[in-house]
Amino acid sequence: MTDTTTARAGAARPRPPRRRTKQLSTSMLPRRSRLSVLVFLVPPLLLYGFAVLLPIGQSLVLSLYKWDGISTMRFVGLDNYVKMLTRDDVFWTAFSNAIGYLVICLVLQLGGALLVAGLLTALPRARELVKTLYLLPAVISTVAIALLFQRIYSLEPLGLLNQLLGWVGLEHLQTAWLSNVSTVLAAVSIPEGWRFTGLYMLIVYAALIAVPHELEEAARLDGASWWQTFWRIRFRYIRPVWITTTVMATTYALRGFDIPYLLTNGGPGQASELLTTYMYKTAFVHTDYGYASAISVFIVVECLVAVGLIFLLLRRGDDK
Amino acid sequence: MTSVLTTQVAARPDEPSRPARRRPVRSPRLRAQRTLLTVTVVAIVVMQVYPLVWLLLTSFRTAADFAGGNPFALPSSFTLENYGRAFSTGNLWLNIANSFIVTAGASVLIVVAGMMAAYALQVLGFRFSGLVRGLFLMGIVVPVQISLVPLFIDYSRIGLLDTHLSMIIPLAAFALPMAVYLFSSFYEYIPRETYEAASLDGAGPYRIFSQITLRLSVNTIITVVLVNSIFIWNDFIFANTFVLSDGLKTIPLGLQNYIGAMGNTDWTATFAAVCVTVTPLMLVFLVLNKAMIQGLESGAVKG
Repeated sequence: MTDTTTARAGAARPRPPRRRTKQLSTSMLPRRSRLSVLVFLVPPLLLYGFAVLLPIGQSLVLSLYKWDGISTMRFVGLDNYVKMLTRDDVFWTAFSNAIGYLVICLVLQLGGALLVAGLLTALPRARELVKTLYLLPAVISTVAIALLFQRIYSLEPLGLLNQLLGWVGLEHLQTAWLSNVSTVLAAVSIPEGWRFTGLYMLIVYAALIAVPHELEEAARLDGASWWQTFWRIRFRYIRPVWITTTVMATTYALRGFDIPYLLTNGGPGQASELLTTYMYKTAFVHTDYGYASAISVFIVVECLVAVGLIFLLLRRGDDK
Repeated sequence: MTSVLTTQVAARPDEPSRPARRRPVRSPRLRAQRTLLTVTVVAIVVMQVYPLVWLLLTSFRTAADFAGGNPFALPSSFTLENYGRAFSTGNLWLNIANSFIVTAGASVLIVVAGMMAAYALQVLGFRFSGLVRGLFLMGIVVPVQISLVPLFIDYSRIGLLDTHLSMIIPLAAFALPMAVYLFSSFYEYIPRETYEAASLDGAGPYRIFSQITLRLSVNTIITVVLVNSIFIWNDFIFANTFVLSDGLKTIPLGLQNYIGAMGNTDWTATFAAVCVTVTPLMLVFLVLNKAMIQGLESGAVKG
């Protein structure tokens, strides 16, 4: 939902003068007291500090300890991180699964969003209806989605997917998608991709219809094909929004948890274990708070690195 | 929107500058293209929505029909028994009530705190406002998982574990950055003169907040509440971590419990329960979908 700002802040940089002066001449009110600033600022900061900022600090501290929540905390320095990065195979399995999950989600969400939004701009009517229907899965809770997909993937009794395969003559592909080690990761990623593709489609669509038609017309008059117009003009024009959307989809996929946790709980074996589910189990099943905190710190770092990479890659493309 | 479309069609190279209103589809190639486009879109939408339709249909199936039949077939007979069993086995009303409490509580908190912070940052302004703004914006990319262990420990120390508040606080706090951002980018567009006029009438920052800013914010409030409601109503991870007793379980937990409680899962009843619990949000979504869609779009695109 969120991350628009980061992209916007970047996107807004080319039109700085007004904004900058505004920030220098701080207040929009002629009269205001220091007290009034505190009255408005402190309550939100307390809420945010208690539930977001403080826990980040606590996790950093906890990750240096070994603690099961009951016995006394034992300081172990960076050992949790060393264990995580060098001695723990499950961690690396979970990490590579998380990357796989990310890729599948991005392809479905961003690829799907761009495709459908592009088609939608050419659709003569019923666009509002398509938008509403396409967004519908976003309204359903992950638990309901997990229940639904459990039946879609099921083999016994024959679920929707296997039935469909049977009809088109691909019986040999029928499998219990959630207990087959080689299919389970894709099987838990697809519901997540499906769920939010409508959201990203809306955002991309809104950006696409805001592309000035003079630009497209000019390109067409110059003999550009539909495809060229799409990539060179429209897609280029919506790049700031595209960066935003990519950041949103990436950070959301990296923190994806509900559907894998509910569908398979990481199994069979560790075939669908993500960093998030691994961290959750470490914390609340094995009550190894220190190690779980180290993993959650890693997840935050991973998100920040991903956001940095997206900006680096997509913005560099912009400068060319 | 239609005007956008017509200009686009008119701009096609093989149909040069034709008045938008009468645009008979003349060339067979164009017609074929359009048919292909419509078919593709319909196919995609069907694929997207069919699982939900199937869920609804299954909730009306008899258990025997579900176990034995072809999953794509229409129900051989419609029955409401599943809904009866859904209500008698689960605690649906209680779950729905809890979800309402959490959604309402968190929404109020998000709106009030978001407006206050945005007002302090954007309207009042202060020396370190850039720093504080950055602090809030950072929250947008912070994954919720980081707070689970610390909050669990903090809650158990101060006795907040297993309360409605234990869900409301983090849900509101993690939604706050986006709300602050939306409110401040809206406040940016309220002209300075509005405040100056009020100030000349002797209004201080508190009166200006309650009489001008608050009143002008209604649309943004609606956006913030609608968008966040989807996520709060469906929250699983905070509820699953901080809530233990049955009396506090929200819908996602209630649904999950369903399955465990019955051992050999009663799928048709479970799907009936899913349909019941999806209904409130679905109704809001369908009634207000224009506002909601605009809100979602504006969140990323506006400005």
